[in-house]
Order: sequence, then structure tokens, then C-alpha cells
Amino acid sequence: MKRIIFIFLILLVPGGVLSSQLQKGWNSPAEKDRLFSEIANAATKVTTLKSDFVQERHLGMLEDVLISKGRFYYKKQDRLRWELIKPVTSGFAVNGKQAKRWDGKSGRTQRFEVYQVPFIKLFTDQVFAWATADFKQLQKNYKIEILGDAPVDLKLVPMRSQEKEYLAHFRIAFSIDASHVNAVEVHETGGDFTRIRFFNTIINTPLPDTLFD
Amino acid sequence: MPIFTLFTKIYNYFSVRRRILYSATLLGIVTCILVFSSIDLHEDIRSMLPDDRSEAALDFRLLQQAPFTRKVIINLSRAGDNDSSELLEAVDRLAEAMRSPFFTNVVTGPSGPDIWELFFWLMKKQPNLATAQDRKKILHELTAEGVQGKLEEMYARLHSPEGSALKGLFRLDPLALRRMGLEKIQFMNIIPGMRLENNHFISTDNKNALIIADTPVRITDTRQARQLLSYFQKLVAAVVPGDIDVSLISGHRYTLANTDTIKRDVFIILACSSVAMLAIFLLFLRTWGGLFVYLVPVSVLCIAAAGVSLIYETVSVVTIGFGAVLLGIAVDFALHVYFAVRHNSSNPAGAIGQVSRPVLFCGMTTLAAFSVLLFSSLPSQRQLAIFSMIGIAASMILSLITLPHLVRAKNEAIVSTKSSGEKIFKLASKWIVGAWLALLVICAWQGAKLSFDGDLRSINRVPQEIHTAENKLRQTWGNFRGNAVIFTEGLDLQSALETNERLFDYLSPKIPKGKMVSLAPILPSLGTQRLNQDRWNELWSAKKELARRLLVQEGRVFGFSARAFEPFFTRLAEPSPPITAENLRKSGLGEIVDALIISADDKVKVLTLVPDVPEVAALMDRRDKTLAAVRFVSQNRFSQIISRAIGEDFTKFIAKASVVVCLLLGLLFRNIKKVLLALVPVVSGLLFVFGVMGGLGIGFNLFNVVAAILIIGLGVDYGILVVCKISEGSNHATEKAVFVSGLTTLAGFGALVMARHPALHSIGVTVLLGIGAAIPSALFVIPALYQKKYEQSKTGNSVIGSR
Repeated sequence: MKRIIFIFLILLVPGGVLSSQLQKGWNSPAEKDRLFSEIANAATKVTTLKSDFVQERHLGMLEDVLISKGRFYYKKQDRLRWELIKPVTSGFAVNGKQAKRWDGKSGRTQRFEVYQVPFIKLFTDQVFAWATADFKQLQKNYKIEILGDAPVDLKLVPMRSQEKEYLAHFRIAFSIDASHVNAVEVHETGGDFTRIRFFNTIINTPLPDTLFD
Repeated sequence: MPIFTLFTKIYNYFSVRRRILYSATLLGIVTCILVFSSIDLHEDIRSMLPDDRSEAALDFRLLQQAPFTRKVIINLSRAGDNDSSELLEAVDRLAEAMRSPFFTNVVTGPSGPDIWELFFWLMKKQPNLATAQDRKKILHELTAEGVQGKLEEMYARLHSPEGSALKGLFRLDPLALRRMGLEKIQFMNIIPGMRLENNHFISTDNKNALIIADTPVRITDTRQARQLLSYFQKLVAAVVPGDIDVSLISGHRYTLANTDTIKRDVFIILACSSVAMLAIFLLFLRTWGGLFVYLVPVSVLCIAAAGVSLIYETVSVVTIGFGAVLLGIAVDFALHVYFAVRHNSSNPAGAIGQVSRPVLFCGMTTLAAFSVLLFSSLPSQRQLAIFSMIGIAASMILSLITLPHLVRAKNEAIVSTKSSGEKIFKLASKWIVGAWLALLVICAWQGAKLSFDGDLRSINRVPQEIHTAENKLRQTWGNFRGNAVIFTEGLDLQSALETNERLFDYLSPKIPKGKMVSLAPILPSLGTQRLNQDRWNELWSAKKELARRLLVQEGRVFGFSARAFEPFFTRLAEPSPPITAENLRKSGLGEIVDALIISADDKVKVLTLVPDVPEVAALMDRRDKTLAAVRFVSQNRFSQIISRAIGEDFTKFIAKASVVVCLLLGLLFRNIKKVLLALVPVVSGLLFVFGVMGGLGIGFNLFNVVAAILIIGLGVDYGILVVCKISEGSNHATEKAVFVSGLTTLAGFGALVMARHPALHSIGVTVLLGIGAAIPSALFVIPALYQKKYEQSKTGNSVIGSR
């Protein structure tokens, strides 16, 4: 579960600030610190995020790749919406302590307080914490490697033993101009992996509150 | 040797050896005072419950074994937002600080692995747990449509963010058989309002958390209970932030509250009754000798308490509280002796001889009345009987042997005056008898409504703060401490589990889901597990290929690979070792298992918790023979049993006391008319009590039974004295003595009415009513009924108002 959360958290890291910094020698500790510090500063400028996505789930139990399409919305400080559109319609929205989730097939909508559903609680706690791009904390739990500069490509390898049992690594790729996250990959220890490609990403566009209610 | 001669001789013997008499008396009293001052008073609810082999005694012992009865429950609550992190931090800090010797086994959540591991454990154990009904359900859903529905649901969830985390579960259990396990584990939810967060017990509103602890401190040990609570309060002050409210619920708080209340009551009662008596003496006696009369009951109190402490290891505070009643009784004998001696100052030895007969008979009838309580099944009633009997005996001895020497008049002239009371008797005798009969009829009519109250909570004082904390606990977590408990007992765990299963099969269809806590679905007996396993194996031997075919066929539609669900089939082939209590403990259910399985005295009891409502009680009453050995125990039922026991005791004791008193009266008077007249105050007092309590809807509790005995004992005393006075023309200022002793008794009981503790208060109210009716009936009704003889007696003796 945490691995999935991590993907979304990474989405909040603004990529535009990175492109000018991509120079050789970035994997040195001093350069990493400087780079992450700039990302953290840039994160404070993001007030909203809107993005379409395509999720590819490569699972050994499936003959075909499981493909789903959807939209992701974030609004500072404590609102987000994760919405699947195809082939199933489902999702959840969080507005502060209130949340709802829905299932298109059954037509059921459930309203609840965030703490009542542990998965959503964990998800939102992490998203809102990551909105501040706390790389210090991140580096305590993951070994972060910068793989490339065009586009920016980060690899995060877990260091906690419990996480290492199921998670091999993450990859986060930014767009060519590094203005937004382009793709996230979660590689599991068993070989399965999930890739989410984001497109039509718009930063700081006005988002109606009704999206999150 | 006639009685009056004996006491005359004793008086004469000591009249020349007064120093010896005074010294011996003083020494005895001082010794008793010293013993009295060292008594360790206890307040133990057990003393108010039967200790024999009765149904109530057994139920009480079993109730003590119900989950949480002996636990210390601590609720931490925090107002404001729903963020539980601060609350849980406080829980951890407080739990960490709660140490031996006051707390052991401090639990803040399940001790085992996390909920996911329990979940997977449950899946692995399905062969042992699946019942015939489960088999039926599996077969019903093992169709193309059924499997398609499951796979579609699974497919949709794989798209969701948690899909990756769930895929392993889906491969192991594509047919969602796990839901059967989840249904079973719902029967283990011992605290209805609880959920788990980071392995902590937390309420569904996120604002309350629980700590459950054991303590070696006995609930009845007031000294250590006080230390425990003080220690806990210091811990809370030191480690819990001010915005978190902490309340501790345990029997210790009740014990302390009751003990403190009774101790305060005893002080107030004794002070008030002593002051009231002093006032009565100042009004009616006003001599130095009167001071010694006053000292008799005080000495008797010390003697009785010391005597009880020599017989019993612990003395109940209620017993000592009853001292006020004893003061009222003990002073009666002293008063009669005082008035006799003062009235016949020229011949004190003769006066003692004369008064000794009615006094001894009064004492003996009261002793006899109290002696029936020695056969009570309630330790508190037996202790009260011993206390009263020692006190009454001591009072008789002091009054008849020592007191006459202290109160004798020295050349004081006794002035006889006519009493206004005599006019009243003469003028109004018909009216008195008429009014008395009318009152008796009304009281008998209202008395028919008298009910018996066996609820022990009604004779215990529960301070508002404890009441509020209990209510909050109930509202937040459900009434998990108020469930009825069904005990199934066996020589070993397996036999107890077998009966427990039968009980579950009987009750589960009839009790709403979520209202019953039982081990049966999760821990069947080994025999049942083998049966379940055979059934499971048989099912999958026959249907394994069908399941495989359906999963491949329907899975293809959603893109599942042919081997996607191979882990499920591997699991079906795996052996499933038997589930044991130890397994369950390791799986994180240790607290629940330990709460529901009790091993003691080479036997094992398995507990089932059900709502304490009449419907469930009725179900248990209708159970068949195979469940005859299980025992249903609940607070409500227990109250009913105690009510019934009180009712039976009441009838039994009243009847026995009446028989004994009548026999003694027969021996004394040898005249049926006199016996009946002497019983007038008793009948009046009892009927008045029943009438008023029945009319006002006040339930008769176990202390009212003691009070009723007291009314018999005291009432008959008044009757004996007045009948003796009228029939024998004795010259000992009887009416005045009865009147003053009645006032002193009322002073004692009047003080009891001021008690805050329900037990003492109820004794006070009952006896106040009873004696309040007995005194006027002795002073007015007996003379009115016995008018002719009374006329004769008063011509020879002018008494009322004499000094």
C-alpha cells in the first residue's frame, strides 16, 4: 500500500525547477542536498495540480497489462481527488477530515471521515506531508539516485527491511522541460510493476471546491 | 432461685464491694475500648451476599469470573479534532508508567501480530472452521455466474491504488472464502465500540482510547486501594497532558467510596445520636446517676465491637454503623433499671429484683429475635446478629449489676405526680383502639404492595463522578462490562468447547449479529475441527476441478492467466493443523482467549457473553437437556435471585422470630391475652413499616430485613414492660421508662436516617417507622385494650411524669 502512496506523493514534487540543475556530479551528497532543497522550496509554490493519467499494471497473474485511465487533482492544503474513469469508474476524494468514495458499477457512494478508512488516512497523511517535499525524511528511508537529466529521472531504493520485502525500487521521470512529473514506476520484488504516465498536467489552475466534496 | 431474688442478692453482695465492681467494670470497658480502637474496618460486598451453596452464592462467584470484572479499566478521552496521535502517545506513556506493585499486565491493544497476519491465519485455518452451512454457501456460489461476479469485483479492485497490495490475497482466495472467516471473527469482538489503530484500542469516534490492566490489590483492601488510586493520580498528573481526560473504573473506587461514606456516616450518626441522647437525659433524668445511664450504651458499643472483632477476622463498617441502633436498644435496659431504682430509692435491692424480670425478658426476647439472623446465609446479617447479641447481653449485665449502684438515690425524695397522660388514656381509649385498628387495616392494605429489592447497587453508594465515568464508558465502548455470561464447564477444555458449540448453535440464530461473543466459531472442539476438515476435504476433492475450470474460464474474460490462482489450489492441498487456544493467543487474540477460557479447580470454563436482557434469559430458560449443565449468570438475574432470597429470608426470619418471641412470652406470662397484648407494639410497628414502604413503593432490601427483626425485638420489649406494669402493678415508672427509652431509640435511628449510605439509611427509615408506631401503641393502645386492669394498676402506682 505504501508503495502506491509513494507514487502519488512524488507527483507533488515540481519538476520544472530541476532542469537547470541537471549537471554531472549531482549524485554527490552536497549537490543532492542543494537540489532537493530547491525542489522543496519550489513545492511551496504549487497550490493546485490537475493531471490525466494512464496506469499500466504489469502483473504476473494477468495475461494482459491492466490498463486504467483516470484523473488526479490536488489542492493545497488538504484536498485531493483520485478518479478512475476506464475501464472501471471508481475513486475517492478527500476534503480535510471528510472523505467520500464511490463505485461506478454499483453506484454506491460512501461518505466518511478520513480516519475511518486506514488506507485513505495513510494515503492522505503522506500526500499532505509530501506537499512540503521533505527530502531529509525521504533520504532517511530511501537511497535516492539521479539517473538522468533529460528528462530528470530519479530512482529511490528502500532502506527499511520491511519495505524491502515487497518493494525493489521506484522510478520517477519528469517531463523534458521538468515542469511536471511524467511517469512513475513502482517495481516490486516479485517482478510485477506498475507504471503511471501523467499527461495534460496543469499546475496552479483554479480547481472548484466541489471536486473534493 | 427466682430471678428477682438473684439480682437482689447480687446487688446486696456488691453493695459492700463497690470498688471491686467498679474496678472490674472499668477494666473490662477500657480493654474493649482498646480493642475497638484497633479494629480494621472493611467494606466488602461479599459480606452482603450468601456464602452458602445457594444459587445466589454460586452466581456471585461466577460473576466474579466474567471478563473485566477484576480488571482496572482506564479510559483516556480527548475533545476536539479527530487526530488520535496525541491521544495514543498519552496512552503509551501512561501504560509505560503503570508499574508493579500496583499494576501488572498493562494492555493497550492486541499483543499479537497485526490484523493482516490474523487475516491470513484465518484463511489458512478455513478447513478447521468451515461448517456445514459454509459448505452449502460455497457450493451455492460455485457456478459460472458466482465465480464471474467474484472475479469482476477483484478485477475492479486491482485497478485501484490498493490493488497491488491486494493481489496476493486475491491469488490465495479468488472465491472470497475469507468472508466466512471474517464473519466468524466478529463473534470475538468483546468490546463493541472498539477499533484498532496502530495496535491500540480506540473508539470509533477516535476520541477515546482504552488501557486494561490487572492489579494484585484486592478490591476489598481499602488501604491498598487508596494507595493504588493515589499512585495512579500522580502518574496521570505526571505523564498525561492536561487536555486529555483520564478516568479509572474498577471495584476499588466503589469500595473506597462506600467505605469513606460509611465512615463519615458512622461519625455523624454516633455524634448526632449521642448528642440527642444527652439532650433526652438532660430533659428526663437530670441527675448524676443519669450520666451513668448514658455511659451504658457507649460502653456496650465498645464491648460489642470488641466481641465481634474477636470472632471475625474483619469487621464490616456497616456493622459498626449499626452501633447507633445498638445504642438505642442498650440504653433501654439501663433506663428501666434507672427509673426503677430511682423510683424506689428506699429499697434499691428490691427494685432491682422487681425490674430484673421484665428487663431480662425484654433482653431475652430481643436476643431471641436477633438469634434467628445467625442462620442467615448472608455474612453481614450474621455479623450484625453477633454484634447485637453481644451488645444486648452486655447491656443487661451492666444495667442489672453495675448500674444500680451508680444510680441509686441518696436521700432523694421521689415526687409522684399525676400525669396528664392518664386523662388521655381514660378519655380516649375507644377512639384510640378505633384509630389504631383503622391504621392497621390501611397499613395491611398498602403493605400488600411491598416489593423486595435485590439490586445490590441500591444498597451501595455510587458517587456521581463514578456514575458519570461508568456511563461514559458504556456510551463509548458499549456495555461490555454489563453482559450476561454463560458458563460451560468441562473436566477439560475439549469437553467445555463441545458444550460451548452446542450453546452457540442454539443461541446464534436467535441473537442479533454483533451482540454475542463466543469462541465457538473460531475455536471449535477438536472433534468438530476434524469433522469440518473432513467436510472441507470432501468438498474440494469433489469440486476442485470444477473450481479450477470456472476460474480459468471466467478469468480469461478479465485477462487472468491460467495459473493466476494456483496459490489457491496449493492452499487447498496444504494440511491444516488443529486450532488450539495457544494458536489463538499467538495470532493476536490472547486477551480475548484468556478472558473467555478460565481454568480453575481442575475444571475448565468457557464463557459466552450475551446481552443481559429478558429475551435472552427466557431463551436460556427454554434450553434443552443437552445444555442443562450450562449456567446463565447476569446482573439482572442475580438481582432477581437476591430479591427472591431476601423475600424468602424475610418470611423465614419474621416467622422464626415471631415463634421464638411468642414462646418466650408464653413462658413469661402463661396467659394468651397478655401475650397478645405484648405483641401489639410488634404488630403495629411491622404493619406500619410495610404499609408506608408498600404505599410509597420503597423496596425491601436485605438491611430492611434486619430492621424488621429489630422492630420485633424492641416492640415486644415495650409490650412486655407495659403489660407487666399493668398486670402486676409493678412500681417502676414503666410508662416513663418506655417513653424515654423509645425517644432514645428514635434518636439512634433518627441519626441513621441522616446517613448517606443507602444501607444505613434504609435501616434508619425502617426502624424509625416501626418504632415510631410501636411506642405509641405500647403506651396508648395496650392500656386502652387492657383498660380495666390498667385502672387498677394506676390507682396503686402513679408514674407518668414522676421524677
